[in-house]
Amino acid sequence: MPEQRKSFHQELDEIRDDIVRLGALVSEFIPRGTEVLLSNDMKGAQALIEADDELDALSLRIEEQCYHVLALQQPMASDLRAIVTAVWLTGELERSGDLMVNVAKGARRIYGVTLDPRLRGLIERMSEESARLVKLALDAYSERNASLGVAIDDIDDALDALHGDYIEAIFESHATHDIGLQASVQLALIGRYYERIGDHAVNIGQRVQYMVTGWLPEQTGAARLKARALFETTEHEAIGFTPVVVASSEDEADS
Amino acid sequence: MTPVLPVAIVVAVVTVVVTAVVTRYFSDRRFSVVSKWLGQRLEVDLPPPASGPEAAIAVIDRRLRAIEGGADLARAQVVRLQGALDGLDQAVLVIDGEGPVIDRNRAAEPFIEARHADALVGAAVAELVDAALQSGGATRTLELFGPPRRTVVVSTAPMPTEGGQVVVAVVEDITELRHLESVRTDFVANVSHELRTPVGAMSLLAETLQDAEDPEVVARLTGRIQAEAMRVSATIEDLLELSRLEGEASTEVATIFAADLITEAVDRIRPAADLAQCQLVIDGGPEGLALEGDHRQLLSALTNLVDNAVKYSDPGQSVEVVASASPGMVVLSVTDHGIGIPARDIDRVFERFYRVDQARSRTTGGTGLGLSIVRNVVTNHDGRVEIDSRLGEGSTFRLFFPQVRRVEDGSRGTQQ
Repeated sequence: MPEQRKSFHQELDEIRDDIVRLGALVSEFIPRGTEVLLSNDMKGAQALIEADDELDALSLRIEEQCYHVLALQQPMASDLRAIVTAVWLTGELERSGDLMVNVAKGARRIYGVTLDPRLRGLIERMSEESARLVKLALDAYSERNASLGVAIDDIDDALDALHGDYIEAIFESHATHDIGLQASVQLALIGRYYERIGDHAVNIGQRVQYMVTGWLPEQTGAARLKARALFETTEHEAIGFTPVVVASSEDEADS
Repeated sequence: MTPVLPVAIVVAVVTVVVTAVVTRYFSDRRFSVVSKWLGQRLEVDLPPPASGPEAAIAVIDRRLRAIEGGADLARAQVVRLQGALDGLDQAVLVIDGEGPVIDRNRAAEPFIEARHADALVGAAVAELVDAALQSGGATRTLELFGPPRRTVVVSTAPMPTEGGQVVVAVVEDITELRHLESVRTDFVANVSHELRTPVGAMSLLAETLQDAEDPEVVARLTGRIQAEAMRVSATIEDLLELSRLEGEASTEVATIFAADLITEAVDRIRPAADLAQCQLVIDGGPEGLALEGDHRQLLSALTNLVDNAVKYSDPGQSVEVVASASPGMVVLSVTDHGIGIPARDIDRVFERFYRVDQARSRTTGGTGLGLSIVRNVVTNHDGRVEIDSRLGEGSTFRLFFPQVRRVEDGSRGTQQ
C-alpha cells in the first residue's frame, strides 16, 4: 500500500511539472507572437501556428493523466482538488496559447500595414503585461499561494486600462487615415486577444485559490442566492403568508 | 563428621578451574576468529593471537588512520572537482538513466524545479537524456523569448559508470555569442554601406555635373555633392573619434560641474532645437554636483544624446536634460517624448551604425555612431548608461558617473 501511495504522489508531481511546462510554453508564446506581429514576420507566424500543436499535445496528455489518476486512485480532499485544478488549468492555458495563435493569424491579415509608434508601444506593453500575468498565475500555482492567486484579478486592471488606451489609439490612428477600417478591426481584435489572456490568468489565480482553500468566488453568489431564498421564506411566514411555491435555487439561477 | 563440606569445596574449586580453562579456550578461539576476519576486512596482517589484543589493536588503529587519511583526500578531491564545476558558466547535470539528477553544478540550479523559460530548458534536458541513452548523444538549440531573450544549447552524452549508465547534460547560454556574431556581420555590412553610398552619390553627381550647363542645375548638383562630402566626412570624423575613445581612457581629468556640462551641451543644440520647434528644459541638479573626467569627451556624449532627443521629437514636444544625484553617482538624464525605441532594439542601439529605422535615419541625418560614442565615453569614465524607452511615448537615457566629493562652490553649480 505505501508503495502505491508513493507512485500516486509521483503522478501528482508529474502533473504539476507538466502544468508548469505548459504554462512556460504559453508565456513564451506571448512575446514570440508579439514579435511576429510587430516585425511582420510571416515565417515566424507560421512557425508559431505550428508550435501550437506541441501545446495542444501536452495539454491533452496532462488531461488524460488527470483522468487516469481520478479513475484509478480516487483521490480525496486536497489531492482531488489538485487534480480538478490541473484539468481546469490545462483548459485555461491551452486557450491562452490559441489566443496567441490568433494574434499570429491577425498579423498575417494586416501584413504590410504600418503601425504608428504609439500603437506599437501599446502592443508591446499589453504583451508584456499579459505575459507577466500568466507568469504570476503560474507562480501562484507552483507556490500554492492563494493570496497571490486572488490578487491577479486586481493586477489585471493594469492590462484592462492598457487595452482601453489601445482602442483609443486605434481610433486616433484610423481618424488620421494612418490605418484603414479593416486593419483597425483586426488590431482591435488583437488587443482583445491580449486582454483575454489576462482574464485567463485571473481564472487560473482563482482556481489556485480553490486548490489551496477549497473556495471559489462563485460561492459568494451561490451563498447569497441561498440566503435570499431563505429570507423570502421566513419573511412570508412572519406576515402569515405562505407562498404556494418557494423558488428553489436552481429556478432562480435559471431566471 | 561427614566429609560433605570438604567434598563440596573440592567440587567448587574444580568447577571454577574447569570453567576458567574452558572460557579462556573459547575466548582465545573467538579472538583468533575475529582478528582473522578483521585482518581480511582491513587488508592488514594482524599479529598472532598469542601476542595479545594490545598488539592487534595497535595494528588496527594504524590501518584505520590510513583509511581515514584516504577518505579525507577523496573528500578534498570531490570538493575541488565540485568547485571547478561550480566555476563553469555552463550548467552541468549528471542524470541517472531512470530520471533523477545525481549531481549538478551551481549554474544548473535554476533548471531544478524551474518555472517559466527555465522549465522548458529542464524539459529539454529530460527529453535529451532519453535520446542520449538510445543514440549516444543529442543537441538541441532553444530560442527563449523571455524576457530576457536567450539562446540556449542543451547537449547530452551517455557516460558509462560502474553502477550503470548515466547521462551528462550541458546547458550553455550562447546569447552573447550570437549577439557578437550579428554585431560583427552587421558592422561590416553597415560600414561599407555608410561609406560607399555618399561616395557613389558624389561620383554620379559629378558625372551629371560634367554635362550640366544650366547654372541653376550646376548650383543644385554642387550643393548635393557638398552635402554628401560633409556626410562622409562626418562619418569618418566619428569613426576616428570612436577609435580614439576605444584606444585610450580619458587623459585630461578635471572636475566638471554637472550644471555647467548640461548648459554647454544644450547651448550647442539650441539652434537645431529652435529649428525643430523643440523646447529644451534643463535642470542642473543640486548645487556643487560634480563629476571627474575628460571635459571634451563628456560634452560630446551629452551633446550626442540631446541631439538625438531633438531629432526624434515632433514639433512642440519638449526635451528635458536633468542632472541629479543618486548614492555615490551623478546621473545625467536626457528625456524626450518622441517616437521611442522598440523593446527588441534597445540592447542594440549602442552598436556602431545600428539603425532602428533605416528609412527614418536618412531624413534625420546623423552618422549612426553617436550612441557608440556615448557608450565608450561612459565606459572610459567607469560609468554606465541605461535606457528607458517606450514606443510612441519617448525615451530616457541616463548616464551614471561616479560622483566626486561635493565642491562647496555655489557660484558654479547654480540651478539653471
